Amino acid sequence: MTSSPATAQAAGTDGRTALKQFTRALGAAILLLVIWRVTTVGLSEGYPASFWISQALNGLVLGGVYALVALGYTLVYGILFMINFAHGEVMMIGGITGYFALQFAQARGWMEGPWPVVVVALLLIMFIGMAASVLIGVTLERLAYRPLRQAPRLVPLISAIGASLFLQYSVLLIFGVSPHSYRKPALISGGLRLGDVFIPYTGAIIFVTSIFLMLALYFIIQRTKLGRAMRAVAEDRSTASLMGVDVNAVIVVTFMLGSALAGAAGVMLGFHNTVVKFNSGFIPGLKAFTAAVLGGIGNIPGAMFGALLLGLIEAIGPSALGIPTEYKDVIAFSLLVLILIFRPTGLFGEVLSEKKA
Amino acid sequence: MPLEPATRAVRTGLVAFAFLAYLILIGVPGKIGSSALPVLALISALFFWLTLRRESAVLSTTATGELPAALQNKPGWEIGPKGASGLSRVQGFLTSITGITVVLKGLLAGCTTGLLIAVLSGASATAIGNGVSIQPVFDKIVPVNLAALIGVSPGQIAQAEVPFARFVLQFLFFGGAGLLAALVVAGAKSSQLQAAQPARPIARFTGPTTVNVVRYTGIALPFLLLAYIAWLGLPGVSVFGSNEGTVRLFITLIATGSGQFALRLSKPGRERTAVSVLLGLGVLAMPFILDQFQNSVMGLVFIFVMMGLGLNIVVGYAGLLDLGYVAFFAIGAYTYAFLSAPFSSPYISSLLIHLGVSPESPLLGYWMALPVAMLTAAIGGILLGIPVLRMRGDYLAIVTLGFGEIIRLFMLNLGELTNGPRGILEISQPALFGLSPSNVTFGMLSSQGWIFLLALTSSALVAFVAIRLNDSRLGRAWFAMQEDEDVAEATGVHLVRTKLLAFAIGATFAGMAGQLYAARQINIFPENFSLFVSIDALALIIVGGIGSPAGIVLGALALKGLPEVLRGVDEYRIVTFAALLVIMMIVRPAGILPSARRRIQVSDPNELGPDSDGVLDEEAAQLQAAGVAESAANGQEEAV
Repeated sequence: MTSSPATAQAAGTDGRTALKQFTRALGAAILLLVIWRVTTVGLSEGYPASFWISQALNGLVLGGVYALVALGYTLVYGILFMINFAHGEVMMIGGITGYFALQFAQARGWMEGPWPVVVVALLLIMFIGMAASVLIGVTLERLAYRPLRQAPRLVPLISAIGASLFLQYSVLLIFGVSPHSYRKPALISGGLRLGDVFIPYTGAIIFVTSIFLMLALYFIIQRTKLGRAMRAVAEDRSTASLMGVDVNAVIVVTFMLGSALAGAAGVMLGFHNTVVKFNSGFIPGLKAFTAAVLGGIGNIPGAMFGALLLGLIEAIGPSALGIPTEYKDVIAFSLLVLILIFRPTGLFGEVLSEKKA
Repeated sequence: MPLEPATRAVRTGLVAFAFLAYLILIGVPGKIGSSALPVLALISALFFWLTLRRESAVLSTTATGELPAALQNKPGWEIGPKGASGLSRVQGFLTSITGITVVLKGLLAGCTTGLLIAVLSGASATAIGNGVSIQPVFDKIVPVNLAALIGVSPGQIAQAEVPFARFVLQFLFFGGAGLLAALVVAGAKSSQLQAAQPARPIARFTGPTTVNVVRYTGIALPFLLLAYIAWLGLPGVSVFGSNEGTVRLFITLIATGSGQFALRLSKPGRERTAVSVLLGLGVLAMPFILDQFQNSVMGLVFIFVMMGLGLNIVVGYAGLLDLGYVAFFAIGAYTYAFLSAPFSSPYISSLLIHLGVSPESPLLGYWMALPVAMLTAAIGGILLGIPVLRMRGDYLAIVTLGFGEIIRLFMLNLGELTNGPRGILEISQPALFGLSPSNVTFGMLSSQGWIFLLALTSSALVAFVAIRLNDSRLGRAWFAMQEDEDVAEATGVHLVRTKLLAFAIGATFAGMAGQLYAARQINIFPENFSLFVSIDALALIIVGGIGSPAGIVLGALALKGLPEVLRGVDEYRIVTFAALLVIMMIVRPAGILPSARRRIQVSDPNELGPDSDGVLDEEAAQLQAAGVAESAANGQEEAV
C-alpha cells in the first residue's frame, strides 16, 4: 500500500484485465466440463427421446410460471430499482384466493357442468385470484414502499422482507397451517398422449395462458399510452414527470400489472401442483427473481427468456448431467453464476443497466 | 370543501376497520377473552388519536401559510406560495374551528369503524348460527372468537341467539372510541396553542443542572437495570409469577441496549472511559447471573452481533450487497463440526480409519479449530469474491444469495460428508485450560453462560478489529469504493484486492460466529443455515444503523432477542416482528443508532446509497424539489 497512486492505478487496471481473463477462463473450463459430463454421462444413460421431450415440456411449463412472476420483479425493478422481495407472497395470495374461489365453485356444482360453464368458472377463478393479488400488491406499494422512495436502496429491501414475512405468517394465522389442496375438475385432470410423450392438460393450459398473458403485457407496454408512460418513467422519472406523466399513478399501475400476472401464476401453479400453503410462494418467487436477473433485470423480454431457460435447465439439467434431482436448485443457481461471469448484467442487460444496478 | 374532511374521516374509519378485521381474523379477540371489545375499541382509539393528531398538525402548519405537499394530489410545481395562498385561506378557516371539526371527524371515523365491525361480526355470527361453516376458510373465525368480540357466550352464537342490542353496543363502543380520541386531540391542541413555542431548548428554561441530571440518569440506567437483574436472580425473588425468566431476559436486553446510549451520553474522555469500563464489567458479569435460558438467548444475540459486524464490513463499509452471508457461517460451523465430531460424518470417519486415526475423539479442540474455521471461511469468501468481482448491486445480491443456497443444498445432499439432513451430532463445547462446561461447572457459570461469555468476548474483539479497520487505510479504500468504483480506482484503490479483502474479512468473522454457533447448538443440521440467517444478519445491521457497531448490538438485541421475549405470544411473534420491521424502516430509515456518516447519507436526498449514480441522484433531487407527497407526510410521521 506504499506505492504511488499512479502505479497502484496501473496495477488495478492490470489486475482487472487479468481478472477478466481469469474469470472467462474459469467459465470456459466449467462449460467444457459440463459438455464433457453431458456427453459422457447424461447421454450415455440411454434415455429415450420421449423422456427428453417430456422433460423439456415440463421445463417449459415451469418456465412459463416463472416468467409470469419474473415479469413482476422486472417491471418493478425497471421503474423503482428495488427488489420487491414480497412478490412471491403476492403470488401465493393469488393461489390461496383461487383455492377458495374453486371451493365455492365446486360447492355450487359448476365444476361438473357442461364444458363452457367449467371454462367460464375457471377463468373467473383466475380473475378472482388476480384481483386479490392486485389488491395486495397495491396495498403493499402504498404502505411499505411508497414512504421509502427516497431512502437508500437497502431500506426498501428490508421493508420488503418484512412485508414478505408479514404476508406469509398472516396467511398462516388466518387460513391455518395445513396445505389447501386444489381438486382439479374432470375437464382438465387428464392429459394428452402423443406417442410416448404425456402432456398434462394443466401444463398445456399453463403454457398457453402464460404466453398469452405475456403477449398481452407486451402489447400494453409497447402499444398503449399507459405503456409509453411506463417506459418513460423507467427511462427517466424526472423527465417523465416534466412531460406530464403522473409518476405515482404509473408506479401503482406497474404494481397492478405485476401482481395480476403473479396472481394468475399462483392460481395456475395451484392447479398444477394441487397444493397451496402459506410458504408456497417463497421458492417460486426466488426462482423467478433468479430468472429475472438471468435475463437482465429490468428487461422484459429478458425476464421471459431467462425464465423459460431456467425452467428448461432445471427440468433437463439433473438427468443430462447424471446427478440426483435434489441438485436442480444448485444447477439453477450455478447457471446464474456462470452466465453472470460472462455477462455481468444478464443475458439481455444493457450497459446502461450496469450503471443503474 | 366541507365534504373533504368527512371523506377523510370515513377513510380513517375504513383503515381502522381493516386493521381490526385483521386482528379478528388472526384470532386476537379469542385470546383476550371477555374484555375483547373494550380492548379493540381502545386500540382503534389509539389509531384515531394518531391519525387525527397528525392531520391537525398538518392543518396547523397550513394555517401559518405553508401548505404541506401531502394535502395536494397535484404535481409538485403547483406548490408554491402562489398556489398555496387560496387554499391556505380555506384551511385557515377550517383550523379556526378546529375543535368542532376534529370532534366531528373523530365521531364519524369511529362510527364508520363501529358500523362495519358490527356488520362483519353480525354476518359471521348469523352464518355460523345458520350452520354455514366459515372456519375452513378463515381458520380463526370460530364461535369462541366471535363470542369474545360480541360479548356473548359461544353457545349463543352456535344457536343463533345473539340479541341485536349487542351489535348496537359494538357500534357505540367504536363510535365512543373515535369521540374520545378526537376530544383528546382537540384538548391537547388548545393547550398546545397556549404554549406555542417549541419545547426544544429545554436548557434555556431549566438550566444546565437539569440537563446534567437527565444525562446522569441516562448513564445510570443500565447499571440500575443490571443491579435489578442481579436482584431478580436471587433465590426467592419473583416477578409476575412464572414469567420471571422472560422478564429478566427482557430487562437484560434493555440493559445492554441502554448501555449503548449511556456511552453516547457520557462525555468523551475520562468519563466515557470510566462508563465503558464499568459497563463492560457489568455485562461481563451477566453470564454468571443469568440462568440457562437467558444465557442461551444472549449467546445467540452476541453470535449474531459477530455476524452483523462481519456483514457490516461487506455491506456497510465496502457497499457490496451480500445476501448469501450464511454460507460462511455454515462453512465455519461445519468445519468445526468435522474437526470436533468426525464420527458423525461417514466419509471423514472412514477416511480417518483408513489413515489409522481413531474417529471417536475430536481431532482438534475449540481453540485449535478456530484458526482453521476462520481460514476455511476466508477461503470461501475469496472463492465467492472472484467470480462476482465484476458484478454490481442487485446482480451481486442474487448471485451471493444463490451461493448461500448452493452451500446449504450441498450440506443437505452430500450425505456422505455432512450426514445430510440428519446433521452432525455431539459437537464438543469449548474448553479453556482443559476446563470445559461438560467436566467442570465454573461455579455459577452454566454451559450456556460459558457460550455467552465467549460470544461476548469474541464480539468485543471483532468490534475492535472492525472499528480499527474502519479508520485504517483499507477502510477508507472501502468507503471510496462504495461511493464510486471508477473514481476510487482512478485515485489508486486496488479494486480487486480491496473487494477480495472485504469478502475475506467479512467471511472470517462469519466463520468465527459459525464455529461458536456449532458449539452452542451441539448438533447442527442444514436447516440451521437457511436464507433466513442471511436475512436476519442483514436486517439487524440495517435496523440497528448500518456502519455503526453500537447500532449492530442494538439491532441484534432487537431482532434476535425480542422474538424470544415474545415467545409468550408465540403465535403472533413473527407477524409482530415483520410489521415492526416495516414500520421501523418507514419511521427511522437510518436505523436506531446510525453512524454519523450514514445519517448524513439518509437525510441527504442526493445520496441514494451504495452504487447509485448520477441518474438516480438527479431523480431523487427532482423528487425532493417536486415535493412528491410523501416527504412531508414522512416528516409528520417522524414527528408523531
